[in-house]
Amino acid sequence: MKKNNFLKTSIMGALSFVKESLFADEFALKKGFLQGIDPRFKAAVIVAFVILVMLLKNVFLILSLYIICLILACLSGINMGFFLKRTWIFIPLFSLIIAIPALFSVFSPGKEIFSLNLLGFKLAVTQQGIDSAILFLSRVATSVSLMVLFALVTRHNQILKVLRIFGVPQVFVMTFGMCYRYIFLFVGIIQDTYISIKSRVGFISSVNKGQKLVAGNIALLWQRSYQMQTQVYNAMLSRGYTGEPKLIEDFSAAIKDWIFLIIAATIIILMLWKNQYLN
Amino acid sequence: MEKPIFELKNVSFSYLKRFLALNNLNFSISKGSKVVLMGANGSGKSTLLSILDSIIFPDKGSVEFMGKELKESDFMEHKFSQNFRKRVGFVFQNPDIQLFCPTVKEDIVFGPLQLGVSNAEIKKRLEKLVSVFNIGHLLDRAPYQLSIGEKRKVALASVLAIDTEVLLLDEPTAGLDPQTTRSIIDIILEENAAGKTIVTATHDLHIVAEISDTVHVFGGVKNIVRSGEPAKILSDEEFLHEHNLVHIHRHKHGGEMHTHEHRHLDHHNHE
Repeated sequence: MKKNNFLKTSIMGALSFVKESLFADEFALKKGFLQGIDPRFKAAVIVAFVILVMLLKNVFLILSLYIICLILACLSGINMGFFLKRTWIFIPLFSLIIAIPALFSVFSPGKEIFSLNLLGFKLAVTQQGIDSAILFLSRVATSVSLMVLFALVTRHNQILKVLRIFGVPQVFVMTFGMCYRYIFLFVGIIQDTYISIKSRVGFISSVNKGQKLVAGNIALLWQRSYQMQTQVYNAMLSRGYTGEPKLIEDFSAAIKDWIFLIIAATIIILMLWKNQYLN
Repeated sequence: MEKPIFELKNVSFSYLKRFLALNNLNFSISKGSKVVLMGANGSGKSTLLSILDSIIFPDKGSVEFMGKELKESDFMEHKFSQNFRKRVGFVFQNPDIQLFCPTVKEDIVFGPLQLGVSNAEIKKRLEKLVSVFNIGHLLDRAPYQLSIGEKRKVALASVLAIDTEVLLLDEPTAGLDPQTTRSIIDIILEENAAGKTIVTATHDLHIVAEISDTVHVFGGVKNIVRSGEPAKILSDEEFLHEHNLVHIHRHKHGGEMHTHEHRHLDHHNHE
């Protein structure tokens, strides 16, 4: 029954995308600590922290950075349950494929902790394997959490503008922005189309019919987006666009942004210094 | 005598060289005037506005702007193109096409930024438009989060921010509630009082008298069938009926069904 209902799945997919995006924007609009920091400073610090995570070889230092990330999330008014759920969905995806083989002596030779006999083939878990798996997992967990935190506390349009400080050309920033803006329009069209189909034909039990309807609508949507592309380009030309877009740069750094940057830089220096002694 | 701001001579246009959209148009628009292009759906109003904005160019005939013929090749030249865009603004019928930036604020400042207006001047214009349209609370919102009325206001603000001499408006009040319609009309009238030329395409008869001093009516064969003062055209019911601009309206009065022409003009004033 569930498998057959292509229309319902499509509507639910479209709705959940919009809901998720609005939900994410809700955090970015809150009056929290990180929301009040200039996006350029915020991006620079988060990227520096991620690079730091890659450089640190001590698990405790990485975990202390993870705790800093959680404290920042709390200060920014993010629900801890929501944050942990959101980050720990991605972490196994990124890490398990690499972390699990690293446990075994084949990849990490060393002191054997215990061994498994798999179809006559001996697989030994080593201390070095466990250490490197934990190190890898803690790096992935901290990096993913930092990036998710940045995405949650920064509005999508600001994230795009921040790309400018990393040298991304304005034309790309503008194209990304337009893509993001029009995804919502097309999601709205998808929703309306499927609801109108549902209101006319009701429940479709045949998998084939459902698939045909969805495929047909993908083609229709492509045609509409193609048509709209010309119209949007005309609207841009009409307002003076000549192929080299100019975007508004409305960031302004305050004293609190500089204090945030100095504190972050101090943490980075201290951790790098400590990292040398602990290894 | 002052030159007309636009002068059209024998203008024809077909989409894909097959589907006729405009058929031999001849008329001019004088500076500071209020012109309404009236006609049923698909009569060519939007196409004409696109031609006036030099987004598309006629297959036959010519369009002159301030005495100079507008040619596609001229718009390859940066200076000419920017100068024209600074003087002519176009509010599209579909605000989802007009509002392509991630936020309302970026959309409003997009035009002046491309046209090299200074940041201080852009800020000044933005503040003024925010207060005129009362849209301060929408500035950081994404266009998809707005209602149709808000979208139309922002679309108009995004063109007014360029501060052009001519405003081309395509169905600016379509689908709006009476209060939002009123506020948009008031803004249009204020812009005209400030000296701007207003060209509006609409089939909404109840706004025509207010926003025009000349009306051009489009016919079924994509040509202008009549031009003149709004009062004369709007009072000619037979003519309006012939060109699909009125319909029969049935409703109850004192428990009895009542039938009359519905012109979206003064139909609710009768006894």
